[in-house]
Amino acid sequence: MRNEMTLSFVAIEENEALARMAMTCFITPLDPTLEEISEFKTIVSEAVTNAIIHGYDCDGTSMVTIRALIDGNKVSMTVEDQGNGIFDVEQAMEPMFTTKPLMERSGMGFTIMESFSDSLSVDSSIGNGTVVRFEKMFSPVTEASRMR
Amino acid sequence: MADINQIDDIVVVTLAGELDNLQANRIRSTISSSIFTGKVRGIIWDLSRLGFMDSAGIGLILGRMRDLAPYNGETFIINPSPTMEKIFNFSGLGSNIRHGSVESVIGEIGGVLYEK
Repeated sequence: MRNEMTLSFVAIEENEALARMAMTCFITPLDPTLEEISEFKTIVSEAVTNAIIHGYDCDGTSMVTIRALIDGNKVSMTVEDQGNGIFDVEQAMEPMFTTKPLMERSGMGFTIMESFSDSLSVDSSIGNGTVVRFEKMFSPVTEASRMR
Repeated sequence: MADINQIDDIVVVTLAGELDNLQANRIRSTISSSIFTGKVRGIIWDLSRLGFMDSAGIGLILGRMRDLAPYNGETFIINPSPTMEKIFNFSGLGSNIRHGSVESVIGEIGGVLYEK
């Protein structure tokens, strides 16, 4: 199947749950396994949380935008903000690196996103914002499972 | 969301629902206060009923390990989902995971604390 969507919301922490829920509904037609759902939800949660707290410092007015495409059993997605940008993307992707230790950010977000997706890339520029792109393959929907 | 009980000198935190950045911020200080009330020798995070967790859970648990450090407290994480278990393994917390009941882990902490 093929399907496409865009979702935008203001940068408040409450919208982390909105993004997870909306994206979980979007991938439901792929008949994902429980583990595929929870890995996908985790990637969404990490990317959206980064945009809200690091991109926009939870400013409550700027918009985070998610674009997603289902093509066959592959989901491609971008999470985009026009916020602060990342000073050093390579450093930001190192496990345990965080600019917000006092907020108890673990610095594991990118490691988790990389591990749970099939590909991940990050474009960022200071003052202009960040785009996180990832792809995740889902196990093919079989005829047997369609019959359920 | 977070049920906090103290059994002897062990704090048992039972989490339910979804643990993200927002929820971690809401429960952090309550859990810290329960550690600072007195002699706490260990903390057990019971995740049996937790439906979702992202890296905010890692931040929350590592932060409480720091709270416990002055008391040499032990940390155990019980019954995480397979996805959560992967996240703990990435973060170096794999050895803190146990599968079983709260009681069996309390027994283990008793062993760890009083027999060494």
